[in-house]
Amino acid sequence: MIKLNAKLMLTVIVAAVSISLLYFVFPELTEAQTEKTFVTHSGAIIKTTGDIIDPVYLPQTVEFDPQKYLREFSYGHISTLDDGRTLREFTIIAEDDKIMEISPGVFYNVWTFNGTVPGPTIRATEGDLVRIHFINNGKRSHTMHFHGIHQANMDGVFESVGPGGKFTYEWDAIPVGVHPYHCHVMPLEEHIAHGLYGVYIVDPKEGRPKADEMVMVLNGFDTDFDTENNFYAANSIPFYYQHHPIQINTNELVRIYVVNMLEFDPINNFHLHGNLYYYYPTGTDTVPFTFTDMITLSQSERGIMEFEYTYPGKYLFHAHKVEFSEKGWVGIFLAKNSDDKVE
Amino acid sequence: MEVKNTSKVKLVASGIIPFAFLVIMIAYIFGPGSDLIDLGVSLPEITIEKVEFLDSEIVVTVRNTGPMAVDVVMADVNDRIHPAAIEPDKHLERFETAVVRIPFLWNVAEPYLIGITTDDGTRFEKEVEAAAPSLEPNLELAGFFAIIGTYVGIIPVMIGLLWLPFIRRISKSKYHFFLALTAGLLLFLGIDATEEALEVSQDTLADSFNGVLLVATVVLLSFLALYYAGERLVQNSSLGRMTKPVAVALMVSIGIGLHNFGEGLAIGAAIGLGQVALSTFLIVGFAIHNTTEGIAIASPLAKGKQMIRLLAGLGILAGAPAIFGAWVGGFVYSPFTAIIFLSIGAGAIFQVIVILIRWLQDEGDKKLSSTAVVSGLAIGMLVMYLTSILI
Repeated sequence: MIKLNAKLMLTVIVAAVSISLLYFVFPELTEAQTEKTFVTHSGAIIKTTGDIIDPVYLPQTVEFDPQKYLREFSYGHISTLDDGRTLREFTIIAEDDKIMEISPGVFYNVWTFNGTVPGPTIRATEGDLVRIHFINNGKRSHTMHFHGIHQANMDGVFESVGPGGKFTYEWDAIPVGVHPYHCHVMPLEEHIAHGLYGVYIVDPKEGRPKADEMVMVLNGFDTDFDTENNFYAANSIPFYYQHHPIQINTNELVRIYVVNMLEFDPINNFHLHGNLYYYYPTGTDTVPFTFTDMITLSQSERGIMEFEYTYPGKYLFHAHKVEFSEKGWVGIFLAKNSDDKVE
Repeated sequence: MEVKNTSKVKLVASGIIPFAFLVIMIAYIFGPGSDLIDLGVSLPEITIEKVEFLDSEIVVTVRNTGPMAVDVVMADVNDRIHPAAIEPDKHLERFETAVVRIPFLWNVAEPYLIGITTDDGTRFEKEVEAAAPSLEPNLELAGFFAIIGTYVGIIPVMIGLLWLPFIRRISKSKYHFFLALTAGLLLFLGIDATEEALEVSQDTLADSFNGVLLVATVVLLSFLALYYAGERLVQNSSLGRMTKPVAVALMVSIGIGLHNFGEGLAIGAAIGLGQVALSTFLIVGFAIHNTTEGIAIASPLAKGKQMIRLLAGLGILAGAPAIFGAWVGGFVYSPFTAIIFLSIGAGAIFQVIVILIRWLQDEGDKKLSSTAVVSGLAIGMLVMYLTSILI
């Protein structure tokens, strides 16, 4: 009797062990599902019964819309001072607890100015008085450090704003050009890499020639914190402008305010297809520095590009450092015949 | 009657009560008490178990080896993002596997770095030293593997068995020498298989599987199971003493068969991974090496009356698994399977060694220190070591 039980028990143990081994050794069997056909952005075709993992967003599902950011300028609350000058007031709120889907399925803790990476594009005219009401709603200390000319105590470096704190920055909008702003709290790399930056444009008093104006912040995300970027982009969302081309018109001047805010990689660059552009480094001069299709930008280097397409069609623009473009920093201009435009 | 019943109830209760407390404790830890001990940050982890190169496609087998469920959201080749498909779906529960199919025009013999990113943005990668086309299971290839398995497994073992008439004619002490030699050969093979299993577990198995303990557990389970079965086999034989050599030889064959399965696995995997030059060496090495295994089977049988058919059967039992191993290794290789089979083989071999040593003890006046036994063990190990250099 005891012997039999022992044998039975042994059999049960052996059976249990073999079944559990089978579970690990062989992937689970799944019932046949309907097959989908999928064309990747490189033109390859996959037929699959499973899921597609593709770094492509639909405009409806993207949390931060690069198309909207591209041509959105914040001119502030405008009033006139006693001396006749224009006062522009902005309210900027910093947060550091937002989880954003930066690429389909990839969730990352972004630190934001007014809820987005990059923050709002602040725009003023040379000589205006700019006043920024800064509120820190984050859990860490933050500041706003603007590139440009201002008093030492308006530099956003030594006046750290703690959680729940406020600070008012004020200065005259000089010099003319395109400048970055960013948080300047240590560890600086962490605060910038998480997304606390944006663009600040100072227009010349006389204005610039009429153009289709847009802002491109070249940035990236290090989602696994190994001090190497996992994603690169123009305006945060990898591959977005490749799949949702930026529509422009032929024979119409296009002006891009481009700012490199990439961390970790020492340089970035901007290559335009089928065309060349006039480049104004930092946008401080009205005479173009060069006519080229390729510029190299180091950290916080920026400038203004101006170009016009003669022929309609699709034109790529991307980092000529191919690693960056194949990790998202690539886009397309769709140039339409201006004659076709419905006026 | 009453008393007996109460004592029985008490017995059952005393067995169940500690178990019930354990259940309550676990329920508490998972339920209301979970906040109390929720310390530290648990990180997702996936392991890339296998990378296969098909026609313009790279197929990656991933397993969730972390403490929580994850979504696989992106694939890259050489750190460049590529759209891909994942089957059956991108959500992986703990220990679940999925296959990621990346359309990619790869080049033969070039190294590739395959990266997989999970929903929290963490990237996991695996390097392939040289891309080689994956083997598609077909009859031709299956036949090819069968031939290799025959060369490596069956033929050498059969050649080894041809020493039987020689072993038969020698004196008792020389016979003991050959039995000890067998034990020495097997000891080497057992250590070899264990080492191989540990190596595979270290190289490719996720930490969460506790590779070393997995090997130890499977070796021991295999040892115990075969030991138990072997003892029954010897005891239950109604023919008495005459069958003991057959029973021992049978167990030696089983042990060596399991071991040869592991060798077939290694050869099949080497061909599958495109290391063809290596596999030619493997085949020659294993063939020479495995001839000694024939001797191991022949030795226990030397003093009995034997039939050719029995010998041939034992030879095939020991040699043929090399063919199956090559099929498994070439077509459906997974590190987990390899470790399991290697460990089972090691356990089987250790079990045979114990039986051989006990036999020697019984025959040799309870002593193992005779010149024949000691030199047999030593030479067995040495021969194996020297032939193993060929591999």
